[in-house]
Amino acid sequence: MFEYAWYIILLPLAGFLISGLAGRSLGRHVGWVAVGTIGGAFVVALYLLIQVLQGGAIGGGLAAATVAGFEWVPGVRMDLLVDNLSALMLALVSLLSTLIALYSIGYMAEEDGKPRYFAEICLFVAGMLGTVSADNFLQLLIFWEIMGLCSYLLIGFWYQKPEAASAAKKAFLVTRIGDVLFLFGVIAIFVVFGSLKFEDIQAGIAAKFGTPALDLRMMTLIPLLLFGGAVGKSAQFPLHVWLPDAMEGPTPVSALIHAATMVKAGVYLVARSFIFLVPVNPANGQVISAAVPWDAILVIGIIGGFTAFFAATMALANYDIKRVLAFSTISQLAYMFLGLAAGAWLLASSGIEETGGYSAALFHLTNHAFFKALLFLAAGSVIHAVHTNDMREMGGLRKHMPITSMTMLLGCLALAGIPPFSGFWSKDEILGVTFQVGASQSLFYILYLLGILTAFMTAFYTFRLWFMTFAGKFRGHHEDHVHESPGVMTGPLAVLSVFTIASGLFTFLLPGSWTNLIFYHEPLGESPLSPFLRMPDAALAGLSVAVAVAGLGLAYLVYSRQSIPASRFTRSRAGAGIHRLLLNRYGMDSAYNKLAAYGVAGVAAGADWFDRHIIDGAVNGVGRATLALGGLSDRFDRTVIDGAVNAFSLSTVRSSLTLRQRQTGRVQSYAGVVVLGLSLLIFLVFVWRFLLPALGVK
Amino acid sequence: MIPLEWELLLSALLFVIGLYGVLVRTNAIVVLMSVEIMFNAPILNLVAFSAYFGNPAGQVFALVAIALAAGEAAVGLAIFLVLYESHGTVDLSKARLLRW
Repeated sequence: MFEYAWYIILLPLAGFLISGLAGRSLGRHVGWVAVGTIGGAFVVALYLLIQVLQGGAIGGGLAAATVAGFEWVPGVRMDLLVDNLSALMLALVSLLSTLIALYSIGYMAEEDGKPRYFAEICLFVAGMLGTVSADNFLQLLIFWEIMGLCSYLLIGFWYQKPEAASAAKKAFLVTRIGDVLFLFGVIAIFVVFGSLKFEDIQAGIAAKFGTPALDLRMMTLIPLLLFGGAVGKSAQFPLHVWLPDAMEGPTPVSALIHAATMVKAGVYLVARSFIFLVPVNPANGQVISAAVPWDAILVIGIIGGFTAFFAATMALANYDIKRVLAFSTISQLAYMFLGLAAGAWLLASSGIEETGGYSAALFHLTNHAFFKALLFLAAGSVIHAVHTNDMREMGGLRKHMPITSMTMLLGCLALAGIPPFSGFWSKDEILGVTFQVGASQSLFYILYLLGILTAFMTAFYTFRLWFMTFAGKFRGHHEDHVHESPGVMTGPLAVLSVFTIASGLFTFLLPGSWTNLIFYHEPLGESPLSPFLRMPDAALAGLSVAVAVAGLGLAYLVYSRQSIPASRFTRSRAGAGIHRLLLNRYGMDSAYNKLAAYGVAGVAAGADWFDRHIIDGAVNGVGRATLALGGLSDRFDRTVIDGAVNAFSLSTVRSSLTLRQRQTGRVQSYAGVVVLGLSLLIFLVFVWRFLLPALGVK
Repeated sequence: MIPLEWELLLSALLFVIGLYGVLVRTNAIVVLMSVEIMFNAPILNLVAFSAYFGNPAGQVFALVAIALAAGEAAVGLAIFLVLYESHGTVDLSKARLLRW
């Protein structure tokens, strides 16, 4: 039905092959191959999204369709799953990737290794597109790992820089911890259900729950293992440490990782694991309430709420423009996980009536993708101009870079959650749902509180960033060199800022219920504004706006008006200590390094001991045994074999010595022998011919 | 007419006498003479059977054999001449060339 959906993955793959194999001969134009192929994928994905929406949520027919692929190995099929979620993700990812690839042409213009860069970008995008359209967990895992590889390659793009090389290694190793958990989850699913297809699993839960193969413990374990993979990929506590270091890669790569690919895959994975979190009997559409893993949902919510707060605090003190954005990504992703957890709770307890949290989380994913891509590309534009990441050497760039500063301001407003920019709608809905779930599980009230505090800090550090960069006076060195970026870079910024404003509002323009329109299979009869009207009290929305404005205002006073000097926070001993603690990222990175250093060194020492004593001992033992065996064989050879040969030759010599006595050289003795022999012969003939017949013997 | 048995007996006697000489005497000339005696034994046989069967072919063969015996004696004497030149003797017990 949607066979053309394969082109969405195949086009970037073709781009990967072309720019990877023929990139050198394309020279400066290699970037356009990437833009063209990914852009082509976007066109197909957009068409697919429209088709799905017309046939699905709006038309009320389609929930999900499987696009037949091919049988990879016997029993393992590669098929695509097309439903609202995957169609939306495909369109979103390909759109952002197109813009980022376009931007890269300008940003990477002066760099060597462009074919490698664009080939890896294409493969990265293909990996993400494959991840979000897989119809089984194995296929998802394969594309997921392709993305892991590409993130490693791209973060380490400047591999000559030791920081970049070690950041790439760190990203790869830290996400690997999550990937191993994910793999265990996939194995557990296969063991329990005998299939990895989402459809089969959903039916399998209904069929098998309550049997010894599948109890509530298993139902809790599997989504938590999958969530482990998401924690690694989406950089949630405690595996968040790789994302800030990943800023060593080129800025468009950061934008790609943060906005379109990689970290969003974790959110997608948790959204897909709703088949476990909210198990639905496909026969009658009812929730199997005994099978709902409430504990797993709670763990996801707690990790989300805590990480949101934790990452935001670290963003407060950092001076690296990209790292502040990286921490904000961790924090915003945590919002999505919180939203998904609250949404799952709500969905399960209401019997598939209230889809608010799930939709809000995916809505936030969409909005965040746009404004975070905008922020990163704008930050890249700034870095391109001033050649530093340190905000202390920026300032006053507004007059030099009007387009960048304006677009970045829009992105900051969206991130800070100021209405009517996109971030507000989704973030507020997440917090609203969290508060609503608090009524049935009071722990969610605490998470709501963390969320509100995070919203305040988000607004503060976002505008700290903006004011430090664009307001005030220039604190760097070569102000005359600062210039606005070329059109190929500001163009994507402009497009993204349109989306940043519109993506929050545009759902209001569509008919039907916005919550379910895009994000959930079944349409619900709700008015567009009902989620906001339904909020327990409008005060919650007011509170969100108030804290956001307060954060913005504080940042204005400290970093723009400077009526409150920043040093006031660090003057006291406790303040300075906190500042240092935040700058050191709570010491977690160094703790992990120490853990790795000592742990790895310990393992290495153990391996060394094992090598020296066990392996070497075995090898030496084998050597000695062989030597002994050789000696034995030598003795056998010398005594038995040689003895037999010598004895044979000796006896030959002895018998010859005896026999040669008979050869006298006397002619007459030879003649005697001849006569004797002849006589014997005659005698025998006589006996044979005459004597025996005469005696009657036959 | 002399019976065939007597003639054959004489022939055998000649052969054995010659054989005795060949095996026992060490002088090469005597050995050659003994060989000649042995040679005469079959010639006598040829003549005896020729008379017995009344077929003259045996006598013809006897003449041919006598001619051959003369040749044989010449070759034998030539060999002994060379033997004498190299060894200074015709004593067969001294000329032990065919030895290890």
